[in-house]
Amino acid sequence: MEPEEQPPAASEEPTEEVPETPAQPEEKVPEAQPGTEEQPPETPTETEDQPPETPATLDSDEVRIGAFICHCGTNIGGFVDVPAVVEYAKTLPNVVYATDNLYSCAEDGLASIRDAIKEHKLNRVIVASCTPRTHAPLFQSVCEEAGLNKYLFEFANIREQCSWVHMKEKEEATQKAKDLVRSAISKAALLVPQEEMRVDVVPRSLVIGGGVAGLSAALSVARQGFDVHLVEKEAELGGFVRNLNSLSLAVKSAAETIKPLIDDAMSHENITVHLNSQVEQVNGFIGNFDTTIVTDGSSKEVKVGTIIVATGALEYIPEGFYGYGMYDNVVTLTEFEILAKNHKLPKIQNVAFIQCVGSKGQDKSYCSRICCGVSIKNALYIMENYADIVGEEGGGRVEVDVSVPEISSRRRRRRRITSAEGPGAPGGAPSGGPEITIFNRDVVTYGAEHEIYYNKAREKRIRFVRYSLENLPKVKLEGEKLAVSYFHQTLKTDRKLLADMVVLATPLVAPPDASELSKKLKVPLGQDGFFLEAHMKLRPIDFATDGIFVCGTARGPADITESVAQGLGCASRAAIPMARGFIQAEAILAQVDPTICTGCGTCVENCPYGAIRMTDEGTAEVLAAACKGCGCCGATCPEKAITMMNYTDEQLLAQGRSILEGVP
Amino acid sequence: MTEFKPKIIGFLCNWCSYAGADLAGVSRYQYPPDIRIIRVMCSARIDPMIIFTLFKEGADGILVGGCHLGDCHYISGNYHTEKRAYVIEKLIEKTGMEPERFRLEWISASEGERFSKVVGEFTETIRGLGPSKVKEDPELETKIGAAVGTTLSFRIRALLGHEIQMAEGGNVYGEKVAEEELQKIVDQAVEVEFRRNHILEIASSKPSSAKELSQVVGIPPDEVVNHIATLRQKNLLGIDHIDGMTPFYVALLAGGD
Amino acid sequence: MSTDVMVIGGGIAGIQASLDIADKGGHVILVEKTPSIGGRMAQLDKTFPTNDCSICILAPKMADCYSHPNIDVMTYSEVIGVEGDAGNFNVNVLKKARYVDETMCTGCEECVVKCPVKLPNEFDQGLGERKAIYMPFAQAVPRVVTIDKENCIWFIKEKCGACKILCKREAIDYDQKDEEVNINVGSIIVAIGYDLWDPTPASEYGYGKYPNVFTGMEYERMINASGPTGGEMQRRSDGKRPHKLAFIQCVGSRNPQLGHAYCCSVCCMFSTKEAMLAREHHEDIDSAIFYKDLRAFGKGFWEYVERAKKDYGVRYINSDATVQENPKNNNPIVVYDVAGRPEKEEFDMVVLATTLIPRSDAVKVAEMIGIPLTQFGFFESKDRILGPVDTKRDGVFLAGYCREPMDIPESVAEGSAAAARAVETVLEKGVSV
Repeated sequence: MEPEEQPPAASEEPTEEVPETPAQPEEKVPEAQPGTEEQPPETPTETEDQPPETPATLDSDEVRIGAFICHCGTNIGGFVDVPAVVEYAKTLPNVVYATDNLYSCAEDGLASIRDAIKEHKLNRVIVASCTPRTHAPLFQSVCEEAGLNKYLFEFANIREQCSWVHMKEKEEATQKAKDLVRSAISKAALLVPQEEMRVDVVPRSLVIGGGVAGLSAALSVARQGFDVHLVEKEAELGGFVRNLNSLSLAVKSAAETIKPLIDDAMSHENITVHLNSQVEQVNGFIGNFDTTIVTDGSSKEVKVGTIIVATGALEYIPEGFYGYGMYDNVVTLTEFEILAKNHKLPKIQNVAFIQCVGSKGQDKSYCSRICCGVSIKNALYIMENYADIVGEEGGGRVEVDVSVPEISSRRRRRRRITSAEGPGAPGGAPSGGPEITIFNRDVVTYGAEHEIYYNKAREKRIRFVRYSLENLPKVKLEGEKLAVSYFHQTLKTDRKLLADMVVLATPLVAPPDASELSKKLKVPLGQDGFFLEAHMKLRPIDFATDGIFVCGTARGPADITESVAQGLGCASRAAIPMARGFIQAEAILAQVDPTICTGCGTCVENCPYGAIRMTDEGTAEVLAAACKGCGCCGATCPEKAITMMNYTDEQLLAQGRSILEGVP
Repeated sequence: MTEFKPKIIGFLCNWCSYAGADLAGVSRYQYPPDIRIIRVMCSARIDPMIIFTLFKEGADGILVGGCHLGDCHYISGNYHTEKRAYVIEKLIEKTGMEPERFRLEWISASEGERFSKVVGEFTETIRGLGPSKVKEDPELETKIGAAVGTTLSFRIRALLGHEIQMAEGGNVYGEKVAEEELQKIVDQAVEVEFRRNHILEIASSKPSSAKELSQVVGIPPDEVVNHIATLRQKNLLGIDHIDGMTPFYVALLAGGD
Repeated sequence: MSTDVMVIGGGIAGIQASLDIADKGGHVILVEKTPSIGGRMAQLDKTFPTNDCSICILAPKMADCYSHPNIDVMTYSEVIGVEGDAGNFNVNVLKKARYVDETMCTGCEECVVKCPVKLPNEFDQGLGERKAIYMPFAQAVPRVVTIDKENCIWFIKEKCGACKILCKREAIDYDQKDEEVNINVGSIIVAIGYDLWDPTPASEYGYGKYPNVFTGMEYERMINASGPTGGEMQRRSDGKRPHKLAFIQCVGSRNPQLGHAYCCSVCCMFSTKEAMLAREHHEDIDSAIFYKDLRAFGKGFWEYVERAKKDYGVRYINSDATVQENPKNNNPIVVYDVAGRPEKEEFDMVVLATTLIPRSDAVKVAEMIGIPLTQFGFFESKDRILGPVDTKRDGVFLAGYCREPMDIPESVAEGSAAAARAVETVLEKGVSV
């Protein structure tokens, strides 16, 4: 392959020319002269000479701020004139050093910060780059490595809140970046070092939900040597899988397949199983959660260090779709599994599966991930077990006895209504093998094995018919059969097939009590109603709140293998603080000035964490380990006796003023 | 003519609205560049004093963003924010400043698009209003100064501090106070404290007689006299000089509740 | 006996596994074959469905991992032998000579500028060039250069030596030798990721024959700001930027004839992302995605596709597709069918979503460790349902794409899962971490 003419990473953007970054080759690469003594010309790179090992000084009153402005490749540099921001930063009060980095977060960028702290005796550092929500810890630890207290660091967000949202206004974006840098510098000048508290971690986990994900999590936490309290709402462990007849790739039935998991959990000495139980109350914070577990009306207090949410999902009830609730033999996938498991399937020869019922832009916006695989599994099950179409136990009417999800009562009601009317299942033994059609919008058999099942299904002459949202199939009763009419996309004609049973593949949905639990735990739900992880890519099973984790279908549709992997993953995440035995609490705390405090108690009343108490001297006192640093108390203290460290009135006003003044 | 570029400050809570603003960035939802964001851990951190101080210093608009009610990372912080916003809005009304210059919004971490829309709308609104008149209208400046004073008064702060408790848990006698009742108490407190602070603000720039104060503040002289008495009692107001029979009052810096 | 854990593969799954164990106080040896950790994720421009910049979110983790006091990162190293059992594995690691003293090199790249040998850059899929002494990519960790012995003039002719002369820190060491290190560990995690299938043999797609047909990873490097073209899409034929892009899905995958019957799990989404990014680069770009089944099955994925359609004007065409070329302008012509009727459409660039295949050395690794492979060549789980990250060999665990096609968050979750199992193992073997 011809190499490109252009040198790597070069671009027409002038901002790309970062003088401090030696990664960019010069235009002409001179031929090296072997054997010559000649030394290369000196280039003032940051990394070349190690600065003398002098620790950053904090003893003097002199504020020495270093400002590091990041290009983030072209993410910032392409829309903000970074060198201009650097030059501007150099003119601001207390700034003794300012430079730019191609990537501040990369090893060379971090090294340049470390080196500059030492070389220029910086005692405050600001980085203008992406968001403090993801990158503050990294830059703070670099400050610490260079001997600077990490609370002497301040962030300016010039990417998410500047370059990326003003992509067409370079001048304005540059001005804004300057303002944000100025604002950060004005706060930095007022920062004071803070010490962090160490808080012990209770070596015990609470796992909420006894399905496959929760069981896997509980067992792994237990095997890593910590106590586990496993709370299950139902009278049995096993969760949603208990509904199922079979599992893809499994030889045994669904119940038998997961039995070892249940047995291990029940017998493990580190695991306390609470059946018929719910988590009533959760207070506290990572390492020290006070929880209340209620079992049959009686409650028990359990103190835990970490919490794993594995509350699962339910199947969407397709009220109003395709004659569900109107016609017998129109069932959901899970109802089908229950019937098959209980050997209650009627005589069926022609079966239609309809995928994406209520999902992908209908009632629910998402694709439920697993339903195509489940439908194919069940289609193959029919093919393999109903080849001679006898039906089970005489066949006939579909009676779903659902005992698992909460939806059971609603379902029974529906059945009662319809059982009074309508014909039973088709009678008479039809000839030939089963004929199965799967109406789909895309067959989502992702990964290795699911695709093989899809191929197998096609080999077995299971028909896959594509439909679109604009042209949904319709289900009507014709005599004793269900007529499925649909639009044939290739032939461009309306067609019809007669089926004995229509199986609706509906999405997994968040259980209705998820929102209540999310409030108790103070963790968020996403727009789809499932629990929302801290970061979609790199923190998929963590919550933003420390010490709480999520796995399985509680965080979104997942198959059994994925649920197990996530459960184990949560066990790993939860074991981290417990294995360490302590956590380092943030130092952003409320601080009461006892000389101003009159002991009115307003703060004690308002603190949501019970983190303020009255001392014997009649003044308020903050319990550092419990304080989360929200600052609510400070903003309402009638005497203004409470200061929020790192977010003081002076600091916030300095930031605001510096934005308004527009001049240093 | 140079285009008006408003100075808009956005105070956003770290967990929801700041994350929403980040998401707007990650998703590249474009919005006008005039807003400058200051991150706080919780919207409840934002002391109303800060809002009025920044208005006094020329902010054209201030946006406060918090988690949706019920979603607060700190459980209930945003309920406090809501109560404070009410007082802020009441006070803005009293100063005569355009109420649209202050806006409170609940924006979640997943509402990047909404964040960009809110900022877009708010910026449009502020552009429509034009620059803040604080710097060119001494009367307005005085009134906003009075609002700053009001937010620092013990009575308002204590009320804000206890309001939620009074509505939910009852007052010191265990009596729950009805929402309308409470609002009336707050309205009245804001009214009185604002007037007193208005008097102080005027008297701090120039020694004034009760008659002058009555004219500027726009309330009957006897009411002014009452306020003067209270303020003198609190050592906030003193007599600068007496011209004939008329005392001229001046604000005392060393005063306090 | 040892409580240490060896992680083979420094991609995102391996990094996550290492960090999880190290954060618990366990000691980790992370062995990475290439000169830098980061893996495939480091090559990606953005990630779906948030369009987060990939290296931006990865770089902090790479730095954390490398600087973690409990993690020994061995880059440019390969596992060449495994003996023993769970709790007591003896692993032979070949530490390849990079001819640069890692402790002395500051990554200033002065030597790279002066090196006269130009070679295609693997990290940029050969689109850009690197030197015989090189930094694998801008954000590489460790930030240390490596000499490519095969192509270095010093090693070929004993001439040049420019890098050694230039290096003020005397980090260049031509006499460095490959080194074999024996390491005793209690548990092993295999997280070696995937390779990219070369679509040249499948002539119907015209890759290698028609200059303006690219692979997804080539495109990914091209649109990356720190890539070979500085973020500009450029046609191979004339260097011009394209206006009309076609993305063809399942090139080589879901295709038993070509040997890859499985679905790669991520291509529908990365092509959607790539089409969206094209529009972000240039508003006048028209993109069409030719797909068999649109598999947008993760959290927020279907919504992402809807957004691509609605806000980015991406066209989705449900059809198999092959490629021809208009010889006049080197424009690829996509041949497909709609409702059974053949259609043609001319584009000026085609991007192929090629199969992500097991690593070329997966067979070797499997044999060495004694774990079986699946029919597709991925490492086989002990129990595909309840023990996905376990292998048939006690104490050896799997994470990420080398086990089963999956996306980044799943690889991260599995990295953690494998970490949990590895820690359980070393605890069970009687010594506490």
